[in-house]
Amino acid sequence: MSTPAFSTRNLPGSDDILRAVLSNGPTLLARENPASPAVIFRGYIPGGSILVEPKQAGLATFYAGMLMAGTKRLAFKDLHDKIESLGASLSIAAGSLTTSFSGQCLREDLPTLLNLLREIFTEPAFPEKQFKRIKAQTLTILDLQSQDTGYMASQAFDTLLYGNHPFALPEMGFSQTVEAFSIPDLQALHQRMLGPKGMVIAVVGGIAPEAALSELEKTFGDWQNPDQAEMPSIDDVPMPAQTLREHLPLEEKAQTDLMIGTLAPETMGPDYHASTLGDNILGRFGMAGRLGEVVREQAGLAYGIYSSIGTGLGPSAWRVIAGVNPDNLEKAIDLILAELRRFVNEPVSASELEDSRAQIIGRLPLSVESNSGVAQTLLSIQRYGLSLDYLRELPGLLQAISPEDILHSAQRYWHPDALVITSSGRAI
Amino acid sequence: MLQELHTAPIISHWLWFGIGSRNELPGKTGLSHWVEHMQFKGTAAQTGPEMDRAIARSGGYWNAFTSMDWTTYFETMPAGNLEQVMALEAGRMQASLFDPIEVERERTVILSEREGSENDPQNRLAEQVSLASYNSHPYRNEVIGSKEDLLSITREDLYGHYQDYYQPANALLVLAGDFDTKAALALIQDHFAGLESRPFNRPEPQPEPSLAGPVEVNLEGPGETTFLQIAYRCPAASDPDFYAFTILDSLLAGPSSLNMFGSGSVGQRTSRLYQALVENEMAISVYGGMNASFDPGTYNLNLTLHPSRSPQELLAALDGELANLTDSAIPEAEIARAVKQAQALFAYGSDNITNLAFWMGYASSFANYDWFLNYLGELSQVTPEQVQVIARRYLQAENRVVGLYRPYGGR
Repeated sequence: MSTPAFSTRNLPGSDDILRAVLSNGPTLLARENPASPAVIFRGYIPGGSILVEPKQAGLATFYAGMLMAGTKRLAFKDLHDKIESLGASLSIAAGSLTTSFSGQCLREDLPTLLNLLREIFTEPAFPEKQFKRIKAQTLTILDLQSQDTGYMASQAFDTLLYGNHPFALPEMGFSQTVEAFSIPDLQALHQRMLGPKGMVIAVVGGIAPEAALSELEKTFGDWQNPDQAEMPSIDDVPMPAQTLREHLPLEEKAQTDLMIGTLAPETMGPDYHASTLGDNILGRFGMAGRLGEVVREQAGLAYGIYSSIGTGLGPSAWRVIAGVNPDNLEKAIDLILAELRRFVNEPVSASELEDSRAQIIGRLPLSVESNSGVAQTLLSIQRYGLSLDYLRELPGLLQAISPEDILHSAQRYWHPDALVITSSGRAI
Repeated sequence: MLQELHTAPIISHWLWFGIGSRNELPGKTGLSHWVEHMQFKGTAAQTGPEMDRAIARSGGYWNAFTSMDWTTYFETMPAGNLEQVMALEAGRMQASLFDPIEVERERTVILSEREGSENDPQNRLAEQVSLASYNSHPYRNEVIGSKEDLLSITREDLYGHYQDYYQPANALLVLAGDFDTKAALALIQDHFAGLESRPFNRPEPQPEPSLAGPVEVNLEGPGETTFLQIAYRCPAASDPDFYAFTILDSLLAGPSSLNMFGSGSVGQRTSRLYQALVENEMAISVYGGMNASFDPGTYNLNLTLHPSRSPQELLAALDGELANLTDSAIPEAEIARAVKQAQALFAYGSDNITNLAFWMGYASSFANYDWFLNYLGELSQVTPEQVQVIARRYLQAENRVVGLYRPYGGR
């Protein structure tokens, strides 16, 4: 049995996390780190690219970038001068289902940074000059991505796995959709994209939780947006019915990037913890689990190989990712498929399970060492409706999982004859 | 070097060896990095997977890095695992096996690591710019080694390198975090005092304090984007000029984080080059940076060309902005701002014990721990005049390498 070598009482929990909901909607989670001279905040607002039509793919990401381009009172340079002069950072990004934001500053500068965030959210200017600049930057990034074997293999994977689902669309869109964006598009999206409903913010560092709540009330307590969009329902995605394979050739690439995968279990759903332990055994434990041992250590075929369970609301992917020499591509696929068959045909050993359980439990103190790690945990607690004591309860949840639980969860998701396999590199 | 801290139940243990690509001879580039890989393959007492399992089971993580100047191995673990870590590190300091079969497997793994890097045209350009930035100093070589050398290095080369340089006389142990100093010292005595130190003769290259130029490097490849990389000589980290150069970099391209671990960054959108080149639609992006290195290294500017511009226009705009910096008075407030940004970045890294331990060893690799402790104080002493003197001394158009990557058929 893996009993934690540390007291779980030292992990963030209900006695040191403040959770409060403002009357207009935002939820705050805060935890103090008295030793820290800095404060970090992370948060999200429901929305994101799901609110955009496919013909405008990439608009939500473009919009998030344009939010930082200046406000009605502060031109681009003035806005960034205020942030950078504090030695602070502030960023906004659009995902599929949320617009996320984060900031970091010395503790005395938190009110200033939160006020700037409010101004950015409510009074963006979408200036013409920055619109042109960000469009050129976006088109260049799209060109770079089209030459990136890892990106291309990943995009092909999403296209095959998600089909007509909005999650198949690339976050930055396509060059033809980006070319067509206009400032009125941004203004229209802004009307409904951001608002206080469903906003979540985690504040961690050298500030008392009550003080953080007071600051949040001062800056966001009166925010209203009657036009804030309701979140649409998210469709399910069917499991692959047969193996789908695609290779995207790119010239003059020394390495081929490879992805093999399927749908992942619902994050924090009934199969999640068993699958997480299984994934750790498959392609994460130590250097890279079973896959690392076979493909890297024994066959010497890859420097980078690992498995990964996607997390988030809505469907996500469970993948094996590797970079291999083009001549070794088929050999690597065969070795990975053999390991996947083993994964679904026989239970993991008791010692493998015990090792992975011990690793995940033992790593908990490290995962919350930094303010950033704690803030990320607090956001997950809110996003997935977990108990404030989730981290303290996790060792018990993992202890209850058996090798058979892992086998059954693996069998529900991995069907070695019905996978998505994509690669990008030298032509084959 | 030990720093006892009880802010979190975590320890970070680092073992630094004074050997890196700086000490490698022609034909044997990549030896230090390959030896680092072999250090995860096992000793007579413990196989590689057994080591890996022991660390992982404890909830810790481990890794290693090879640089131009050093090779270092670290473990960050929940407190209470100190003896396990020291036994592992003492064991592999002198008893690694270098099994010939494992050596051959690792040859293809390292070639794969190199191929992954070569996929990025900016890495290919950086390799050529680096080769052109020195006459013979090994800083010109990639730490991973050339493909030719990786194909010809033998097990005997690797094992000889290991035997020569992996020994207490060439090592620094750094420990930070939640431990008792007296007990830790006793463990160090138990595990390391019996290891043998032998005389060693490490190749010491002649520093190249200036960059003979100008040199142009041209590459072509697929894609539609043009990149420029410009390398100037910069001072060694122990040179008093390094502090003024750090401020110079911050003014030009924004503050660089010194933290290898932990979170935190400060933007660069008000930096002089961003404003002059990106805001004025000469470039899509600009980044600057340098390493704190033992010998004089390179200060690199990486630019992505705006599609409506030519490389010549971008270079002229860059030179115009550099002239502006050297010819017009720099406001005191701009320096003070750069210092505040550096202070904030320090604060952001302070909640991470791994980062602290890293800095204790890193600063010692080119100076001593006081360098790290005095860093912010030294930055705050830098004057506008010093920054201009440094800019005039180092950022000369006739002493630089200009690397250009163009798409096939591009301008």
